[in-house]
Amino acid sequence: MTVEPIPARGPGEVAWPGDLRTTWLIARRGAIESLRDHLTQGVSVVFSLAIPLFIVMMVVRPLVRQSGAEGAGAVGTVIASYLLIVGLMPSSGSIGIAAGMFAGEKEQGSLLPLLASPASNRAIFAGKVLGAVIPALLYAALADTTYLAEIWLVLGARTLRLLPLALSIALMALVPANAVLGATVASLVSSRVRTYQTAQMLSGLAVFPVSGILIGLAIQMQRWSSAYLFVAVAVLVALDALLLVISAATWRREEVMARR
Amino acid sequence: MTNLAIVIDCLRLKDRRDGGRSGRVMIAGMIEAEGLVRRFGNFVAVDDVSLRVPDGTILALLGPNGAGKTTIVRLLTGVLGLTAGRATVAGHDIRSNPAAVRAHVGLVTDVPGLHEQMTVPAYLDFFGSVYGMARDARARRIDELLAFFELETHRKDRMVGFSKGMKQKVALARALIHEPAALFLDEPTSGLDPLGARSVRELILTLKHSSRSIILCTHDLDEAERLSDEVAILRRGKIAAVGEPGTLRAAGSPETTVQISFATPFPAARAILQATPGIEPSAIPAAQPGTESLTSIEYQTRDPSDVNPQVIAQLAAAGARIVSVTCAVRSLEDVYAAAVAAPAG
Repeated sequence: MTVEPIPARGPGEVAWPGDLRTTWLIARRGAIESLRDHLTQGVSVVFSLAIPLFIVMMVVRPLVRQSGAEGAGAVGTVIASYLLIVGLMPSSGSIGIAAGMFAGEKEQGSLLPLLASPASNRAIFAGKVLGAVIPALLYAALADTTYLAEIWLVLGARTLRLLPLALSIALMALVPANAVLGATVASLVSSRVRTYQTAQMLSGLAVFPVSGILIGLAIQMQRWSSAYLFVAVAVLVALDALLLVISAATWRREEVMARR
Repeated sequence: MTNLAIVIDCLRLKDRRDGGRSGRVMIAGMIEAEGLVRRFGNFVAVDDVSLRVPDGTILALLGPNGAGKTTIVRLLTGVLGLTAGRATVAGHDIRSNPAAVRAHVGLVTDVPGLHEQMTVPAYLDFFGSVYGMARDARARRIDELLAFFELETHRKDRMVGFSKGMKQKVALARALIHEPAALFLDEPTSGLDPLGARSVRELILTLKHSSRSIILCTHDLDEAERLSDEVAILRRGKIAAVGEPGTLRAAGSPETTVQISFATPFPAARAILQATPGIEPSAIPAAQPGTESLTSIEYQTRDPSDVNPQVIAQLAAAGARIVSVTCAVRSLEDVYAAAVAAPAG
């Protein structure tokens, strides 16, 4: 075997990557591993394929058949509301994935090598949150796409045209807001408890009421104008981003390993 | 693992810079700690521990479970913060520049801790990226490590199906990907088969010879004695004994225990031993009722080369039929047992 030493680094060159690059490295690795995990795949297939089909066949199709032309607006609003519900279910998977990112990996011993690396606290936390959000959002996007595709296949393109565009976009924008919130809360909880199960349970208790509030908000949003809709969504997304930034800035790796 | 001589060159620590944080040339990874204290609430996990591991040496941390070995490793790798004390690793202060310390250390634990859905090259590439290595350097280093650990044929396999030994090899490769100046090995041979453990021990010696400072936590006293330059025995977070293995053995008890076996019972042996200069009467185990006819006797002496020939000659002259004479010096296990059993002070 012929080998050459790794060249010495020059003066002034940064020895380890910046926060954003490290965040992305950690997020990408976490996302890929979650996407490859068979349990996550199984649950997500149910949420992304089976449940949208169930909703189309058991809720939307009877509704469309029963309503006349005068009820088209109401039908469109109901179909749009289910865009949120269909997207929320797989996006809530970010809680389970994020719970595994700290408590789960700590149980398996795979977290320590990362904590012992030069990656900053901010990069580790933000990377873990994004690593949980990315697969959840991919599955949520798949679920909404499946839902719309099934409506098109079963009920035709005319039914799709009943969807109110602004409301549909606003409702779908709530899905990533929910995913980021779930992943951030679950990461905060997960880094402070000993087991994956505890992390998942406590995170669920903290986040599921928020999902309920989002659905309630969605019902209210049906009466709002487009401008109000987007302001409401923008406020939620901003609050999410603020929570993520504050959490990443204040989180310390010490919190994970100092639990005995 | 093969071809260690070549690999020594492969792993030899090169002059390096600390990544531009200070511009200072780093040559070695000496570990120095003074008065380390770590509390978890009211529990004192590490209590006033001081240690020094010069370049190219291995310090073995011994102690029962919960003695503080792993906590010391986590403190010195910048994973846990100090409650009190100071430490420098590879020239960087653990308090003021923990990121620089982490950039220059490698850590292996008893649990490989891999992301098992990944392939080995992808996993090593991830850590190489986190450590800031350039793409071509990562690729070259990964090839070297795969060859060294004989993992080339598993290049495309996900690690989920690997044996414990293979996973531990990957963990070692991960710890070496960035050519760390200091290594922390927390029970690295735990759970490995004898050949796998031997390979890891050979690697540890190789790394030592390439000027790295190494702290090795182990429960295997034989491993500690064979690999380390110094051992520190921990008890309830404190260092109960520290020194070179040979010095520790000699300091605890310089006496050699000698056991003589007879072909037939020889009751006169006790009287002969008591009359021999160089053997204190207290060093001869007291006779138990009914044991005078036993076929062996034991004594301790500080000067076996002078005393044993006298004893053997006198026993033989008195008609003893000697079958065997065995000498045992104090083992590290004896030192360890004495250190961890000593009353708390």
